[in-house]
Amino acid sequence: MEAGRSPNIEIITLAELKELSGKPGNFKAKLEVRPRYVDPTKCTACGMCTTYCPKEIVDEYNEGLDFTASIHIDYPQAVPTVYYIDEKSCLRLNHESCQLCANVCGPNAIEFDEKPEERELEVGAVVLAIGFGRVPEEVLERYGYGKYPDVLTSLEIERLTCASGPTEGEIVRPSDFAHPHRIAFLQCVGSRDETCGNGYCSTVCCMYAMKEASVVKEHAPEAEIDLFFMDIRTMGKGFDEAFNRAVEKYGFRTIYARVPKVEQVGRKLALTYVTEDGKTHRDFYDMVVLSVGLDAPADAERLADLLGIELNKFGFAATKTAAPLETNVPGIFVAGAFQGPKDIPESVVQAHGVAAECSELLAEARGQDVVHKEFPPEDVELEREEPRIGVFVCHCGVNIASVVDVEAVRDYAAKLPHVVLSENVMYSCSQDAQADLVKKIKEYRLNRIVIAACSPRTHEPLFQESLREAGLNPALIEMANIRDQCAWVHAEDPEAATKKAMDQVRMAVAKAARLEPLELQKVPVTPVALVIGGGAAGMSAALSVADQGYEVHLVEREEELGGNLRRVTGLLSGEDPQKILDDLIKRVQKHEKIKVHTGTTVENISGYVGNFTSTLRRPEGSEVVNHGVVIIATGGRENRPERFGLGENDRVLTQLDLEDELTRKGGRLSRARSIVMIQCVGSRGDGLNYCSKLCCQQAVKNALRIKKRYPKKDVYVLFRDMRTYGFSEDAYREARKAGVIFLRYQAEEKPELVTQGKSLRVKVKDALLGEELLLPCDLLVLSVGIAPGENEELSKLIKAPLTGDGFFLEAHVKLMPVELPVEGVYVCGLAHAPKPLDETLAQARAAAAKAVIPMAKGFVEVPPIVSRVDQAKCIGCGICADLCPYGAIRLVKVGKRKKAETITASCKGCGICASHCPVLAISMGGFTDEAILAQIEAFGEFVEKEAAEEPKEEAA
Amino acid sequence: MAFEPKILSFFCHWCCYAAADSAGVARYQYPPNNRVVRVMCTGRIDPRFIVEAFYVGADGVLVGG
Amino acid sequence: MGKKKSGKVLVLGGGVTGVQTALDLASLGYYVYLVDKKASIGGVMAQLDKTFPTNDCSL
Repeated sequence: MEAGRSPNIEIITLAELKELSGKPGNFKAKLEVRPRYVDPTKCTACGMCTTYCPKEIVDEYNEGLDFTASIHIDYPQAVPTVYYIDEKSCLRLNHESCQLCANVCGPNAIEFDEKPEERELEVGAVVLAIGFGRVPEEVLERYGYGKYPDVLTSLEIERLTCASGPTEGEIVRPSDFAHPHRIAFLQCVGSRDETCGNGYCSTVCCMYAMKEASVVKEHAPEAEIDLFFMDIRTMGKGFDEAFNRAVEKYGFRTIYARVPKVEQVGRKLALTYVTEDGKTHRDFYDMVVLSVGLDAPADAERLADLLGIELNKFGFAATKTAAPLETNVPGIFVAGAFQGPKDIPESVVQAHGVAAECSELLAEARGQDVVHKEFPPEDVELEREEPRIGVFVCHCGVNIASVVDVEAVRDYAAKLPHVVLSENVMYSCSQDAQADLVKKIKEYRLNRIVIAACSPRTHEPLFQESLREAGLNPALIEMANIRDQCAWVHAEDPEAATKKAMDQVRMAVAKAARLEPLELQKVPVTPVALVIGGGAAGMSAALSVADQGYEVHLVEREEELGGNLRRVTGLLSGEDPQKILDDLIKRVQKHEKIKVHTGTTVENISGYVGNFTSTLRRPEGSEVVNHGVVIIATGGRENRPERFGLGENDRVLTQLDLEDELTRKGGRLSRARSIVMIQCVGSRGDGLNYCSKLCCQQAVKNALRIKKRYPKKDVYVLFRDMRTYGFSEDAYREARKAGVIFLRYQAEEKPELVTQGKSLRVKVKDALLGEELLLPCDLLVLSVGIAPGENEELSKLIKAPLTGDGFFLEAHVKLMPVELPVEGVYVCGLAHAPKPLDETLAQARAAAAKAVIPMAKGFVEVPPIVSRVDQAKCIGCGICADLCPYGAIRLVKVGKRKKAETITASCKGCGICASHCPVLAISMGGFTDEAILAQIEAFGEFVEKEAAEEPKEEAA
Repeated sequence: MAFEPKILSFFCHWCCYAAADSAGVARYQYPPNNRVVRVMCTGRIDPRFIVEAFYVGADGVLVGG
Repeated sequence: MGKKKSGKVLVLGGGVTGVQTALDLASLGYYVYLVDKKASIGGVMAQLDKTFPTNDCSL
């Protein structure tokens, strides 16, 4: 939640947009801000008010599974970390009767008289990221929700499995608090259901159901879990694999059936359902979880009226395939679930992408309205003094304090060498605690800080910034992890946990005393991007970067731009893909900031973020270019497995071949009377291990196109799971209405091609009839999926890993979906994973946004944990340079001798060089030999102490 | 009295230290016999560190990376 | 010609999408108003315990 700390993000909560006027670049927005009744500048989030508030209300954050007080905070880490009063329930606001909270509030933060206020803002662009809404309760009531207490929603289960939730992670039935033995998950509740107006697929439920079922199983291993699917739609990158792994590991039963209703029978819930073989079943469960879909956000219609934006028929923002992040009103953009149901990675992709859209529109105003955070100069004199260590021992609410005796740890720390201040803090990460830290540093002239709290992995940057605010070098902090690696894992042994916390604090203090200030390194960035791949993804990314004001080298291996999109001739939305492509090509070729290199390959890439040098090779010669960032958009290729006679029999095509056929008059298609499509040929474990995500949409699209042109032709689609997620579910329904016949086949019983004289037949086992069918087949169309391009070479060139399936591996599956582990390198389109065009275009903009960030800053900051070579000691043996996995050490000539030198921007601080240097000439920032040895020595006291406590008998 | 080994653990910031954090998030319980030194990579670990750990009395050294 | 463009952006919605948009825009050199109807930002993701498929902590 670093948004709370950026000086350029102003968070306005309890606020609604009331009016918008003006035009792109110059909008005026009016907001209505409702009162919080608590002054955020005074509230310290101590929680006294909640403790004393006599008015109990249902806790909405915990999905109504718990109670809270009228004055409360949603959760302890909320941003802003300020309590608020629920207007509807507060006794004072409604009956003028109580003011207990005001009486107990130490800092006098309660303001009962606050009134709603209006704010007017001038902005250049508007982003609608209002998320999704809730499926109405009436829909859930059909499944017994509200009537039977043990029918829960997916979000309720989410709170129940949460360790800080109402049951502290224990899975119990709300009716009798018993542990459920049999649990059923019902999919598609409020989704794929026209009777409730939600004809679309919510896209995320199959994944979250599997996640929730897994977590439930971990909390309650004895539970038996059945999941009821219409189709299993785990089409995202790596999702099929994760799904199959979970099913295998936890022994889940997956059943293809839509359960129409739930009944209570005694203490059990009865489900009656029909499986695909036509048989009726009745099973009993202790708990039923409804996998509730994502509805359009409640505010959608109001905003649509206010802003004049169009909604689709389901109430989500209407967008085009060619411009998935743009509303019909220029300057107003949309991202996230409001654009259509989507998961977290897709939402993050759109967030990045929409930032690029704004940045393109407002390129000329970049930097104009930002506030630069100024840190006071470092107090060098203070830093040079003998260590004056301040220790702060965090309660983390009850997270640490309920196990570790934090007061005892505080008192223990106070007696350690160099410690001048030792204190407890309720939440050391809260904004007020940070302010207090700055104050204490100044007041006690502290020059080394030890925070005994959570993990430095997540929280060190936060504290480092506070140090800088106090005029201290950010390297002068050490954290002792007494939560994640102590209180949480030794909950049953408070005494031992307290001892361990003391030892970790002592080791941290020992290290802190030896910490030295480190200079923050800044490396300049060449404001040029190299985009590899001239398909839809590469061209869109190049255009976005260029429109944001930076130069681009766009490299395409083939002589012509366009990539795979050249072969696509229709889109579900009705847009013309060839027109989208032509527009892209024209704009790319015209753009003065884009240099197009066709028929060119990238031969060599060296350097690091901000300073890359690459060789572009063409048959007639090569060119060397300098650039600051790289975007990989090398695409993928159509998989062409040798199945069903593909490539030999001219009556067997792929979907892409069919796209071509669909633009011709006459030909094979016009002669065929019966067309059979087979999905997942060569995919999902049959050659390629994964799902290619777009084939189901493509098959439905092409089936509809055939039916439209030749209504009398028979079209069959043989599938394993129809994965027409999101709004393409509509097209699936339309295709069924148009007479396209869909038949599910089992992975173990694949369809077969049978030749009877001159004619072809497809043999498939029909689940409902339980018999084998022989479908006449004049044209067989295979959905073959997408294979990775030739990524290995590029992967080696830039030292970025590939997934097992051969696509580029992103830095974080959820939160960094377009960044690669190598800094300054980004990925989009099919090089990342198979995906449809709209997602590719959004991701291209996302990559462009991330790529522009270092260029917009003009420099990259390198964390000062890098290695440093003492060239006076260095003997130039070169062991370090050979061993460095990042190529971050080079040998340079200093006078007549060779000496090692760190390339700071490439160094990751691993320290392999330091541990192998035979003359100890290399020191690691923050991890010097002295510091680590001091920690080890401090560990030794733990041994001594324990030995002293033990009875002497062993010694004898 | 049962033998309670004293273990010094060197954990890599990126993997094992992260894994130890995850163990906490998942509330896995394990014996409280180890003390942790975080390093940015186990490649940082100089053999001297391990010798030193035994010298000051560790019963075991765990290098996690 | 028209007025000079503003370098500020209004982001409606403080869920994972809105917060990420705001962070990116701030890094790209724009000032952001991040507006939410609720008393705190975070949206639904703050309610999630873990996330598929890695089951990471979502906060």
